[in-house]
Amino acid sequence: MFDIHLKNLTKSFGSLNAVDYVTFTIPHSSVTVLLGPSGCGKTTLMRMIAGLEKPTRGSISFGEFDVTRVSTRRRNIGMVFQYPVIYRGTSVKRNLELPLLSEGLDPKVIKDRIHSVAELLGISDSLNKLVEDLDNGTRQKIAVGRAIAREPKIILFDEPITNIDITAKLELKRSLKEVFGRLSQTIIYVTHDQTEAMTLADQIALMQDGVITQCAPPAEVYLKPASQFAGWFLGNPGMNFVEKKDLKSSATAVTAPSLFSQSIQVGTRAGEVAVIGVRAEAVNVFTKQIVGATSARVLRKSLGIGGQYLLDLDYGGVLLKARVNHNLGKEITGQVWTTIDSDDIALFDESGVAI
Amino acid sequence: MSSSSLKVVGLSKAFGDRKVLDEISFTIPQNDFAVICGRPGNGKSVLVRSIMGLETVDAGQVLVRDNDVTETNSGSRNIGYVPQAFALFPHFSVRENIEYPLDLIKATQEVKSEAVTRVAELLKISDLLEKLPSQLSGGQKQRVAIARGLAKATDVYLLDDPLVGLDFKLRERLIDDLRLTQEQLGVTFVYVTSDPLEALQLAKTILILSDGKIVEQGPLADVYDKPSQLASLTTLGFPAANIIVGELEGGAFQSPIFSVKTDVKGESGAAFAGVRPEAVMLGQHTGAVNLKARVTLLENLGSEIVAYLDVDGTQVITVVSRTDSDALKLLNAADVSISVRPEAIMIFSASTQRAIGKGVGRV
Repeated sequence: MFDIHLKNLTKSFGSLNAVDYVTFTIPHSSVTVLLGPSGCGKTTLMRMIAGLEKPTRGSISFGEFDVTRVSTRRRNIGMVFQYPVIYRGTSVKRNLELPLLSEGLDPKVIKDRIHSVAELLGISDSLNKLVEDLDNGTRQKIAVGRAIAREPKIILFDEPITNIDITAKLELKRSLKEVFGRLSQTIIYVTHDQTEAMTLADQIALMQDGVITQCAPPAEVYLKPASQFAGWFLGNPGMNFVEKKDLKSSATAVTAPSLFSQSIQVGTRAGEVAVIGVRAEAVNVFTKQIVGATSARVLRKSLGIGGQYLLDLDYGGVLLKARVNHNLGKEITGQVWTTIDSDDIALFDESGVAI
Repeated sequence: MSSSSLKVVGLSKAFGDRKVLDEISFTIPQNDFAVICGRPGNGKSVLVRSIMGLETVDAGQVLVRDNDVTETNSGSRNIGYVPQAFALFPHFSVRENIEYPLDLIKATQEVKSEAVTRVAELLKISDLLEKLPSQLSGGQKQRVAIARGLAKATDVYLLDDPLVGLDFKLRERLIDDLRLTQEQLGVTFVYVTSDPLEALQLAKTILILSDGKIVEQGPLADVYDKPSQLASLTTLGFPAANIIVGELEGGAFQSPIFSVKTDVKGESGAAFAGVRPEAVMLGQHTGAVNLKARVTLLENLGSEIVAYLDVDGTQVITVVSRTDSDALKLLNAADVSISVRPEAIMIFSASTQRAIGKGVGRV
């Protein structure tokens, strides 16, 4: 197995660099999710790895082997697209079989692969059905099956769940999670959906404006965002940010007097802190005053995921969102007291990079 | 002074044999943020179009500010309208697009300028006014469409699923904007959606639309905590509530996966038990209904984990906050124990779909 190395990889469309000097290694045998908003360059990056898009500059290597000028076909990559690519008018079995026949494999090998792939995807009972008779989610499973049956070293997924009916989405997600856990191939998965990324990825490569801003396991990207963008993009709602005008810095520490009582020890870079970030669920909320807590006015509260309440809190002009469980949320009226643990506070410099 | 902003009485509409609106009645008071929530295909769009006067109805009345407008044409109903599809005129600037509904009522230039400034500030699009729609992103276009709906200075606005199809980061921003806008304008918003999370985040009053009927209306928290109808439980909530099919016999609810004593009197036969995902606890608890489950998928939302579990072939969903480290540890195993307090189990009649009681103790 080999890692995929991208070096200064760039794709320009006119004056716009859709992918902008990306240097990055995709580790073998793992699931790397390229995550970012529309237009961040994630699909263009994936298409260059597949050989479907020619880089303007830079290189792509599979291990030691430079594939920048190698055709798509010779790169030996499996691909799954947004819309299931299947052969209509034929059975599920035939759909899985055709790419294997074109590889000239032994009939017994073909039979074994079809059965193991069908079992893996939970479509063994549908092998003799016509693909037209199946729902969109099952058709996408067949497309996944076709991609993995060939046993390529790399499999690319381009938003495979996005256009699947809501009822079939969950089953497909469950199936992909299972498949990814059992495959030893390198998987590159493109999506704009953070839940999909956080659920399926071994590591998330977060993209913004053609650049990978952070690559780390999902929990790390969520809890230790490398940039303000990462803090904002992941989470529903995204991270709360408090601007410099509401912060106080000393030589080695920073605090936000209206929000919390403690000072955050930063060291010599304290003066560089321009923004602090706090996740909504990291705000500890109390209905009675406790020692060390800060008072806030509840501007509004709304229900959300799992019956939790999201509170809009006002600390004398500094606004923060806090999330509390259902029972506590029901009790809360006009005023609350809050604390925030120092470990839950992210620090960013003027350009939005984590300190 | 009118007592209600919008009142609908016995509104019915059928297409051939198919009843789309079935004697719908509701009243929305002034200054409310009322959300009408129903799954796709439940008649939402026809209801919106009927209120707006874009669809003729077979029976019933629409009253705006206590005035019967059933026979009044759309333009004279004086309702601000944000339609679902944000069709902007491509050859008009953002300013001209926003002014369009005011042109229709022959507003003066002064009124138009004032309105454009006001809504552009509200929706943070002041710097986009001279651009063409083709120069805007999807989210910006949607803001312009909402601004156009709000440009008409009135006190009742109807918003038809305006965030559908937008990515969730944009929705997050626009949800905040919409709530703030309604508060600042001090007007009535009637907002129609099929998205349960949007409904939860926006509504002061919630109306549940199911099979062409408003089956329940009330303050959001009341309907969420004590739904009187099965449709309210299944429509409102994210992740979706767990619904377990079973039978009532001798006051006990029995299903293939659990049994529970209930406070239901004088009913027997087919019934449903409804359990909110947050009421499904990890680990065993004294006095609770304890079950064994297999984890089939952990969906990571960042702040929460949604766990999809299998209990003897029945899917059960629970949701765990990432700050609940004890529960998260339990989820690491393939097989887990789960429990539900009897009082968190809501019982619904299968025949009437109404809430008829709740669990009171283990069998």
